[in-house]
Amino acid sequence: MQAEETSVTAPNAATRAEGRVGSPRFYLTNEFGLLVLILLFATIFGLATSGFLSKFNLFTLGRVAAINVMIGFSMMVVIVTGGLNLAVGAIGVCAAMMCGWLIEDIGIVWPVAIVGGLALGAVLGFINGFAVVRSGLHSFIITLASMSIFFGGMIFLTRAESFRELPPFFSAFGRLKIYGVVSPLLLVAIVVGLLLIVMYRYTALGREMLAAGAKPEAAALSGVRVDRIIIICHMLSGVLAGLTALLLVARNGAAIPSMAGQLGQDWLLPAFLGPVLGGTLLTGGRVSVLGTFLGAVLVTMLTNGLLLLQVGEFWVQACLGVLLLIAVLIDKARRTFLARRRIV
Amino acid sequence: MQSLWRADWFGPLVVTVVAIIFIAAFNPSFLSPLNIQVLLLAISVNMLIAFSQMIIIAIGQMNLSVGAIGGLAAISFAGMMEVWGLPGPVAAVLALLIGVVAGFFNGFFIAWTGISAFVITLASLSIFKGLNLAVTRAQPFYGVLESVKAFGATTFLGPLPWLLIPAAIAFVLTWYLLNRLPLGRHILAVGGNAHAAELSGISVPRTIMAAHAISGLLAALAGICLVARLQIGQPTIGDDWLILSFAAPVIGGAVLAGGHVSTVATVLGVAIVAIITQALVLFHIDPFLVQVVLGALILWAVGVNRWREVRVARSLKRI
Amino acid sequence: MSRYREIVAALAGAVLMAGVAHAAEDTKVALVPGGPHPYFSAWEQAGKDAMRDFKLGAADYKVPQKWELSQQNELLESLVTQGYNAFLIFPGDPVGSVSTAGELADTGAPVIALAGCLKDPSAAAFCFGTDTGNSAYLGTKELIKALGGKKRIAHFTGFLVDPNTQLRIDAVEKAAKEEGAEVVQVIADIDAPEPAEEKINAYLAAHAGEVDGIITTAWVPAVVSANALRKIGDKRIKMVGIDHDEVVLKGIKDGFVAGTMLQNPYGQAYIGSFAADKLRSGCTVKADAPFKSNALTNKFIDSGTVFVDASSVDNYVASMQGITKDIMATFADTYLACK
Repeated sequence: MQAEETSVTAPNAATRAEGRVGSPRFYLTNEFGLLVLILLFATIFGLATSGFLSKFNLFTLGRVAAINVMIGFSMMVVIVTGGLNLAVGAIGVCAAMMCGWLIEDIGIVWPVAIVGGLALGAVLGFINGFAVVRSGLHSFIITLASMSIFFGGMIFLTRAESFRELPPFFSAFGRLKIYGVVSPLLLVAIVVGLLLIVMYRYTALGREMLAAGAKPEAAALSGVRVDRIIIICHMLSGVLAGLTALLLVARNGAAIPSMAGQLGQDWLLPAFLGPVLGGTLLTGGRVSVLGTFLGAVLVTMLTNGLLLLQVGEFWVQACLGVLLLIAVLIDKARRTFLARRRIV
Repeated sequence: MQSLWRADWFGPLVVTVVAIIFIAAFNPSFLSPLNIQVLLLAISVNMLIAFSQMIIIAIGQMNLSVGAIGGLAAISFAGMMEVWGLPGPVAAVLALLIGVVAGFFNGFFIAWTGISAFVITLASLSIFKGLNLAVTRAQPFYGVLESVKAFGATTFLGPLPWLLIPAAIAFVLTWYLLNRLPLGRHILAVGGNAHAAELSGISVPRTIMAAHAISGLLAALAGICLVARLQIGQPTIGDDWLILSFAAPVIGGAVLAGGHVSTVATVLGVAIVAIITQALVLFHIDPFLVQVVLGALILWAVGVNRWREVRVARSLKRI
Repeated sequence: MSRYREIVAALAGAVLMAGVAHAAEDTKVALVPGGPHPYFSAWEQAGKDAMRDFKLGAADYKVPQKWELSQQNELLESLVTQGYNAFLIFPGDPVGSVSTAGELADTGAPVIALAGCLKDPSAAAFCFGTDTGNSAYLGTKELIKALGGKKRIAHFTGFLVDPNTQLRIDAVEKAAKEEGAEVVQVIADIDAPEPAEEKINAYLAAHAGEVDGIITTAWVPAVVSANALRKIGDKRIKMVGIDHDEVVLKGIKDGFVAGTMLQNPYGQAYIGSFAADKLRSGCTVKADAPFKSNALTNKFIDSGTVFVDASSVDNYVASMQGITKDIMATFADTYLACK
């Protein structure tokens, strides 16, 4: 079933990645489908609830979406190689706590501390990547274990104590409303997204990542150092996870060990939701940065809309599941319909 | 000896035996009847959870909703006894049915739409867990029948818990299914290469639906056994099955891409995780360090198996 | 379940007597716990009763779908959009929720930390709840009293990411030290029933002979330990639990559990709703209010903790009622300055 889907839509992994506006093929892409769904549900929620389009709601919606998008990106860059990184949450928390520790206990100025946090993210990502490459084990099992180790190490060292003596800059950043609606967190997510698009489309490194994910043996034959690429992908994932966690620090006004839940597991669902809805293949080799962004936005919006609709408080989750199912079914129907019309 | 060395369950077996000997040497009470009983209890339920995921791994998919299905079956089981006053076996059968239906629901949507199992089961995870919350409003069901409680708490032949029986039956049937029945061959064939399987006349959609229904059944059985073991219908049952459900088959050498799983090795994977968890308690590990040690030990366990695989591959090359 | 309704009905009746009448029909109180958990279920009825008794526009119990800080934040933000203007929150994280509380307060809504506290400084008017550290401390003292001579204690508690867990570990340690007892084992991270069952049973299987008493300071470990002791049939090991789960209460009646530290969720939500409405309609927190201090905040009001054992377990409803009534009777005069 899945084989058929990829053979239709992915003759060339790299160019397929972003789609081209205007070409008929664009209307077949995941990205277009997600855009339609987002507009559709936004209209429904806008009409059905009073507050959905209020400035405050759009602001908080954007801020929540930004975090989910960033979590999605940090998973996506590893999925590209056909791997997984279950430790995104654990790495993120470690990076945030590192940054908090550097500021509060060591007294380093915050820009350096941020770099320190991100560097720790890169180091932990490197450990994952190195272990995957050297052992030949699937990244699933490596990151499953390292999730436990990283998070456990963090809890042991911090004794679950938070760092909150951060410069006011952090929480001001989290609360800032540009034109009353846009959160700077969302801008960070958009900038990161644009950088990722540039990387995958225009740099040799990005193309090598896609090649290593699609067909590692072929890539190796054509001179790509697959092992090195996999390690770099894990490091990138670590840095992005760290950045996400730092955005959360800004949002929460403190570096707290529980920000990603027990073992960082709270991040796992958003981490997969965005990329998978956005059309990134779990087997690797195909990536959609825009799709990941839109997928995360869609899910955030559905949750927000359901909360505003005031469906009974214990029914929200069931409704979210049903809506998600309806959303993917609508998208499927759209594609089938278009594909048929094109053939006829 | 050579064939033994090559068997995929050999690595996990070595790890299990080494772990048992090592722990027992330092702490003889590890082999006390009561401790063996506790260990077997943990293994029996976790085994069902692992099988439920293993079947889906075999067809090359993932089922994120195992915990949600198990939880829904568990609270239905307890709820039907408390609210409707149904006798235990009837409630159990109905709860198993719910599991099958829930699994079939997953399989149907995956086969019908061709959308990745990951997405479908992610959505259904929310639906099943949401139904669970809507029914229980986060309150446990306490009205579990005494007979069910006794089934979860008592033993036969010394330290063997009764809960071992459903787990053992599930083990034998799963092994038989995957190794002897046509359906099992179909499942593995679809997991290995769906396209080739279709060309050889296997109905891929039907196989997917069957696999998911079986997965739902096993998850529901695990949920029911947990109600008996916990003596209470907790709405949180199933919330943290996901990682375990993948860890055990993968430690047992399952290939996530599908087509290759081992029932025996998966059981050993479950045993390894249970033994490690118990050892951490036995040795008074600082609670703040437990997670670190657990992670390191899992790495060690898979590392040993990996080392064996590499050696086997090398010796095969030499021939 | 039925027992629970009894308590709730009885409490509602009792508190009605206290009778207060300052209408504020446009006050919409939101009662937001950290996630779905049986502890908070009394909040729903308490909110309804408060709405009726104090003529509030609403006092609704709103539950985040999962026990996640981000889910709670999302819910709170959407409640602002829905027009709620007074917030009673169990903070998902004592530090991490400070910023959200600040944003809520910026909309002009009073914010009260309920059942658990925010770490100072925060925008919360005050914290009204159980002093988790103190409850663990008192529970340990009761346990040691029940133990008599033998004094080796095991402590089972919840998630380590919850900073309250460290407070509890420290409090148990402190109480034990004062009485010359020894905490031989701390098992944590067992807020889910499956791992709790596995770890607690494994511990008892190997080390039952080495402990004399068990103190549990979280809901799930209390339930699981009570069941485990019943299963082993061992009445030598004394246990003190926490909260009012039926399994624990039944364990007390049957003699497998020495007692439990009750908290007062109904009173928290009922009196909290009252206070939130007052704060909205012109009252302020008195500058010289006799707040207590705990590890997190200097503006703490104790919602009451009671130890019940076999002799008092049948009447625990009455003792909880009594506490709620006492606090309610003097609450406005003690803590609020109204024009």
